[in-house]
Amino acid sequence: MIGLALDLLIIVSLIGLAIQSINAASLFRGILHFVVLGLAMSLAWARLDAPDLAMAEAAIGAGVTGALMMIAYRRLIEIQPDQESSLRPPPSRLAVPIALAAGALVGVIGLAAIQAEPMPALAGTAVLENLGSTGLGNPITGVLLLFRGFDTLLEITVLLAALLSAQAVTRQVDLDQSLTTQDPDTPLVGALLAIVVPLTVLVSVHLLKAGGQETGGAFQAGAVLAACGVLLVLTGRLGASRQYSPLVNTGLLVGLLSFILIGLAPLLWGQPLLALPGLWAIYWIESAMMISIALTLVLLFAGAGSLKRRDHG
Amino acid sequence: MIDIALPAIVLFLIINLIAGMLRVYRGPTLADRMLAALLFSTTTVAALLVLAEWMQLPSLRNVALLIVMLASILSLAFVGLPAGREEAADEQ
Repeated sequence: MIGLALDLLIIVSLIGLAIQSINAASLFRGILHFVVLGLAMSLAWARLDAPDLAMAEAAIGAGVTGALMMIAYRRLIEIQPDQESSLRPPPSRLAVPIALAAGALVGVIGLAAIQAEPMPALAGTAVLENLGSTGLGNPITGVLLLFRGFDTLLEITVLLAALLSAQAVTRQVDLDQSLTTQDPDTPLVGALLAIVVPLTVLVSVHLLKAGGQETGGAFQAGAVLAACGVLLVLTGRLGASRQYSPLVNTGLLVGLLSFILIGLAPLLWGQPLLALPGLWAIYWIESAMMISIALTLVLLFAGAGSLKRRDHG
Repeated sequence: MIDIALPAIVLFLIINLIAGMLRVYRGPTLADRMLAALLFSTTTVAALLVLAEWMQLPSLRNVALLIVMLASILSLAFVGLPAGREEAADEQ
């Protein structure tokens, strides 16, 4: 009973926040509503028994997207201070009919889905039955790396392609603009970094290791590590660089390359493609992917091809 | 007893969240909205911790840990906004 009231409240606030984040009176309000929507979303995933998704939502939402949108907002009001009034185009007359039609469509499909005979979840039970032989405890990691490894390989490739296309459209002038938000020598900043940076590294390694048996994995760990990088960029410890550094490029590629090489190797001894040879291969690929995912996210945040260290005092 | 108390606590926390949402919505200054959003993170952490106990999902404690650890990033990005333009930009 209380559980039902709880879920209804979460649903109502999700809808309200979603409407506010695209329809708020000012851009800034929209950004904040979107950040809060991410938090409410992670509560919703938690209620749906999906801690993996709750974790990904929390890491990406709190660590990367909020700061990304805040920085974008700052750039916008620097370029054009009266952004707020000019950004909103007048709503089209078609908006309401289209919204009603789309809503009706969703309603009809939803009703049909509720009335349809539920199919037995064949793939899910097959995964759970075969998980024992792999040595993994977390079915999600099993699906990502063993049962549907090809999809994960393609996802990693897409992430790299996204970074390359973002770099293709970044102008060199933009790299000179600092993303640093305040005086880097503020004492509070140093204290914050001294606590948060080691903690994020520790937690991301913990999540990576936990991924084999419980909630966690390369993506969540990478997102946490990326949040650490975003923090360093925001506080001026890391800056965008024009010079391509071999270290950064190796980090970007290590996930994809390890996955491809370890995935190809089984062909040599007559096994099928991507038949990973053991737990060590899974942990190796996960660690490499964590580094690549984190670097890609930080570089996307900085809008840069490379990073360099900046020293302060 | 505990079966009723835990969901009731989560319910109370979520009602708190909705009250905080009003502050994000009404402002009036940017800093008010920002503080309300940060309060949101704190309350979400509390709700996740109670949910972890109630739903027997210990992994939710890790999610709460992440939110605590990363909440400061948003405020760091916020303090970079140019000062003095706050109300003007938000009057629309």
